[in-house]
Amino acid sequence: MSDDKNHSGQEEIGCIEAINALYAYLDGELSNSETIAQFEHHLTHCRHCYSRTEMETALTEKLRKATKGTAPEKLQNRLRNLIDRF
Amino acid sequence: MTDQSDKAYFSDGIEQCMDSLYGLALRLTRNSADAEDLVAEAVTRAWSALAKLDDRRRFQPWLFRILHNCFVSEYRKKSVRPVEYPYDETPADGDDDDLTMLLIQQPDEFLDWWGNPEREFINQLLGEDIMSAIEKLPEAFRIAVVLVNVEGFTYDEAAEILDVPKGTVHSRMKRARTLLQKALWEHAREAGLVTSNEIDRCTT
Repeated sequence: MSDDKNHSGQEEIGCIEAINALYAYLDGELSNSETIAQFEHHLTHCRHCYSRTEMETALTEKLRKATKGTAPEKLQNRLRNLIDRF
Repeated sequence: MTDQSDKAYFSDGIEQCMDSLYGLALRLTRNSADAEDLVAEAVTRAWSALAKLDDRRRFQPWLFRILHNCFVSEYRKKSVRPVEYPYDETPADGDDDDLTMLLIQQPDEFLDWWGNPEREFINQLLGEDIMSAIEKLPEAFRIAVVLVNVEGFTYDEAAEILDVPKGTVHSRMKRARTLLQKALWEHAREAGLVTSNEIDRCTT
């Protein structure tokens, strides 16, 4: 954790700032390119935050696979019949 | 007034998101029969309101908002499930910092456990564990996770669907993921997936 600038002249961020940015980063909600670069630079030298990012990425993928379902055929037919009658 | 092109547009839109609609409805109602009724009701309401949809590129967020509103106005009050404890979404100053510190300090053991390649077989079991942990989340957090992480809506779209500010979605996502991770770690310990020796090793 340091307030120094890195080789690219960016402000270094610490673990607290990285954790605060983590979910927005993973969800594609960090729009500021400097903030993205700071976060990614932090991951290159912080094992803890790198591991957390890896784990959260894997957890998100498992979550998506575990909860993504298919509408039952009965419902699909019901909706199509409904729309036919509109 | 709607015409045949409206009907084709509407029908295509519904076909593309049937699975997602049902998925959200199931997470809301936690009951497949109620979920099917909720989707059918939302689709009926959406057709009646189609003329009010100004930007047709935003069909899905608009439709999901109708489904959520339909749940809030009709199904929630009919539910026999006990009312969930209203989780505080407007924490006092410093509460968010506490959450950040929890993420930094508490789950190191979880990270070590997760990162151990010898635990690959445990990873295979986590689908059901994750489902169970999701179901235990307070409704507001559960729905935010489903909309963003499962259905792929942006924070802006999730905010539109839930009729809350974008910052609230951001906060809900952070809290939901923290609670989810905590629940999974506790489950791993309770299920004996992590031995006491490993806990000792990880926490020292």
